[in-house]
Amino acid sequence: MSPQAAPASRAVGVALILIGIGATVTSMSIGLDQYGRWGARFFPLAGSLSLLVLGVVELWGAKPSEPSDRRHLPAILALLLLSIAYVWSISVVGYLLSTTVAAPLALYIFGVRNPIGLCAAAVLCPAIYHTVFFVALGVFPPLGRWFDLLDIIGGY
Amino acid sequence: MGLATVLSDPVLLGWVFLAAIVGMIVGAIPGLTASAAIAMLLPLTFYMEPLPALAFLYVIGKSGRYGGSIAAILFNTPGTAASAATQLDGYPLARQGKAGKAMKVATISSVIGDFTGEILLIIGVAWIAAIALKLGPPELFAVYFAAFIVIGSVIGKSVTRGLASAALGVLVAMIGLDPISSTERFTFGSFDLTNGISLVPLMIGIFVLGEVFSQIEERGVKTRMVPTGDSDAARNRLTWAEYKPCMPHVIRSSFIGAFIGMLPGLGSAIAAFVAYGEGKRLAKNPDEWGHGALEGVAAPEAANNAVSGPSMAPLLTLGIPGSTIGAILIGVFLIHGIQIGPTMFLTSRDLVFALFACGLIGIVMYGVIGYFGAAYVGRLIMRVPTQVLYPVIFLTSFVAAYTSRGNLFDVYVMVAAGFAGWAMRKLDFNPAAFVISFVLAGGAEEAFRQALLLSDNGLMIFVTRPIALTFLLIGLAAMFARIRSVNKQARAVALRDA
Repeated sequence: MSPQAAPASRAVGVALILIGIGATVTSMSIGLDQYGRWGARFFPLAGSLSLLVLGVVELWGAKPSEPSDRRHLPAILALLLLSIAYVWSISVVGYLLSTTVAAPLALYIFGVRNPIGLCAAAVLCPAIYHTVFFVALGVFPPLGRWFDLLDIIGGY
Repeated sequence: MGLATVLSDPVLLGWVFLAAIVGMIVGAIPGLTASAAIAMLLPLTFYMEPLPALAFLYVIGKSGRYGGSIAAILFNTPGTAASAATQLDGYPLARQGKAGKAMKVATISSVIGDFTGEILLIIGVAWIAAIALKLGPPELFAVYFAAFIVIGSVIGKSVTRGLASAALGVLVAMIGLDPISSTERFTFGSFDLTNGISLVPLMIGIFVLGEVFSQIEERGVKTRMVPTGDSDAARNRLTWAEYKPCMPHVIRSSFIGAFIGMLPGLGSAIAAFVAYGEGKRLAKNPDEWGHGALEGVAAPEAANNAVSGPSMAPLLTLGIPGSTIGAILIGVFLIHGIQIGPTMFLTSRDLVFALFACGLIGIVMYGVIGYFGAAYVGRLIMRVPTQVLYPVIFLTSFVAAYTSRGNLFDVYVMVAAGFAGWAMRKLDFNPAAFVISFVLAGGAEEAFRQALLLSDNGLMIFVTRPIALTFLLIGLAAMFARIRSVNKQARAVALRDA
């Protein structure tokens, strides 16, 4: 792959500028204190303007770079989707059922294809995590809004 | 007294021993860092007493730095960034059938370096704390400012993106209610955001889940281990005559590492490369370096471990973490209600010195385990399939993030931080600068606003106070020096290509 005009560098510069502008506008909407001073605004504004300036510097100094390797992007996006779906499902059907599904899917994304291994993960992972964190350590488990297996197994 | 406290408590010793083993194993797993292990185990320590909790994580950090050398020597893949310099001579030694000898040199040098750093910390920290007590808000803010600039500009490949990482860390830390006026900042009407972003899920996301995302790109890449010569005991025995030439390098590198460790944000990777460069420059056999010189293993290993103790000095005396591990340890101090800063040496003196004693004992423990068992750790890691290991870490990160406050919103934060952590690594941003700036932002803002309240001339207070001005200039000088060095390197590369 030969070096190309710097799309990544430019994209980063533009992203920083956009975040900087957004953050600056939001910072300016932070309320003043009772004496009309900027107290609570100073730091957010300093951070936002720094980003804006750094974005301009990044865009201005964009250099040719190797195109990035995007072969693994589908797997990464799959893992991100699984992550979001996993947290959401914990909130609706509880930890045990969600982990029963998420554990084999995570293994599958990482390349495990052995059906026995995937089934074992579906049973062992929720059982082990539940036992360690919610039984042994006494952390209050996240309960599902729609349904929770804990209601059936009596909290254990 | 700290040593007596620790040695008389078998349970505490057990935690230190466990930390020595866990850190070594985690450090030796390519891609997994001590920071990741500490971030993941942090919620477990909420249920422990303060001293065992701190000692457990502190010693994991120490032995994790050492563990990275095992992977560098045996797998030609540094377990941590700090071990990349060790790889330069460690792997050639392993290919010559001297993996055992290289690992023994790494172990002894790590122990000497770590011990030197720890002793310097014990001697110097109370003195630094006494000075820190005399700093007012303008000076403190100037120290924070210098830390932001150094952390953002010195680590990483790009100065701009490093500084942008630090600025992003500041902005994320601003989310929630303003601590003085209770004004909402960056909450966008969300009730969950009014409590701000919690440190623990953020760190688990950046260091643990982010690494899991990165490891997807390594799927299918087989790590090969160089055979350790059990059958060739003669080649792997280390004699004093062989180690003696390493001693000057180890002593010099220990002091280089200790000095770099005191500067916020620089970390053990920089220390290791500086020590390697200095060692090669001053070596009697510079031609052998890079081809399997024992001194080339000793110098970076002593330096990267010597960072560990002194990096605690800015954390304990000023509340400024010198490393990502320091940033994580802040969370433990806060959870246990211990206020870090110079007054800590008045209020929690026994705890601090007992923690240092745990550090010293931890060094001895990982030294003994490593000297006799590093090869076994290498073989153990080879048996753990990464395609199973990383999904397990993935699932653990969710439950660990939830455990910190029992709040599913934190888990969403962890997922977002994980993806951001991966993207930052991919785009040469600096996740460590992001997290350390996130941690520093609260204290920096408090010092800034207190300084303005003291000032009759607004911002001029920072330039009219000599100590404050000195730190501001140090920060700016570090940034310009770094920009110059990056430009020089770029010109050299352009000339070479031309």
